[in-house]
Amino acid sequence: MFRSKYFLGLLFVGLVATTLSAQTADISPQRKQAIDSLALEKVRDLSKYISIIGNKKTPYSEATRVMDRAEELFIPGSEMGVSSVTSKEVNYYKIRKYFERLMALNYDRVNIKWYDIHYISDLERQPDGRYVGVVTIYQRFEGESDDGLKYKDTTKKDITIYVERKKTQIAGRTIEFWDVLLGDIRVTETSA
Amino acid sequence: MEAKNAAERARIEQEAADKQKREQEEARKKLEEEERMRADADAEAKRKATSSTPAAKLDQFFNAVASSSNPTSANSSITEALSLFQSAQTPVLIVISEEGGMKDYDKPTTIQEYLNYLKDQKKNLNTITDLKFDGAGKITEVELTRKK
Repeated sequence: MFRSKYFLGLLFVGLVATTLSAQTADISPQRKQAIDSLALEKVRDLSKYISIIGNKKTPYSEATRVMDRAEELFIPGSEMGVSSVTSKEVNYYKIRKYFERLMALNYDRVNIKWYDIHYISDLERQPDGRYVGVVTIYQRFEGESDDGLKYKDTTKKDITIYVERKKTQIAGRTIEFWDVLLGDIRVTETSA
Repeated sequence: MEAKNAAERARIEQEAADKQKREQEEARKKLEEEERMRADADAEAKRKATSSTPAAKLDQFFNAVASSSNPTSANSSITEALSLFQSAQTPVLIVISEEGGMKDYDKPTTIQEYLNYLKDQKKNLNTITDLKFDGAGKITEVELTRKK
């Protein structure tokens, strides 16, 4: 009797788990495309935030506010790769630390642009229900000082993207949404 | 003599016909002008009515913030826009896809954060699809939908 109750309990849990995972498994191509676009837009948002943080004309208070917004795009603990044409070494910094270093760069003018942003690995559903994919970007960095110091490089970086279905309460009702979070950003190429 | 009188009569009749034709043409033009002015007035009234709806006003603020040439101007538009809301924490829901009555949302945000997002990103990708109000006419919830 106990065994059959135990078995039924297991069966019920199994069915519920299957149903919840099925809710994210049965996604039409149209919905999938909307999620793909949403994730790509977050990467574009990040590129704009980085441009604002690095811009020497951005007031400190604005840069700090933007750093807070940009940091929210990431999974806690994520890291950003930083390279240089003068060294083969690639250093990895926690995201906040990267932003702080970016803001403190010793140039009078800094221009950072991301371009050719695209998927190299499509968002695919994982066993845990999350979608994971990889987006690659090219970054053009130009730093210039009044005393004539100049540095320019082009870097190719890969960004791991995670998309998860989550719930929240809005005005007393449950809203389900797609939470896009960025993971580590790894350097793959550096050139002058 | 008779021929001369006949010619004179014909000339007078022709002049009268020409005059009548001119008067009819002037009356027609005047009527057309009046109709055009009425249509313009109607269109202007309609435009004013549409732009004064809460959604239209809010959309104007969104566009103003996104297209501001400097942070000071953007912040001024943000402050004005926030006066339409019950609070700066008013929730903003963004629909990224809708299929069979089911909506997919981006992560919900607040109106203050959304306005700052427009200022930072300088792009307005969404249309206002629904607004909720309290008894004082302040906006309590915003639903936006991604433009196609």
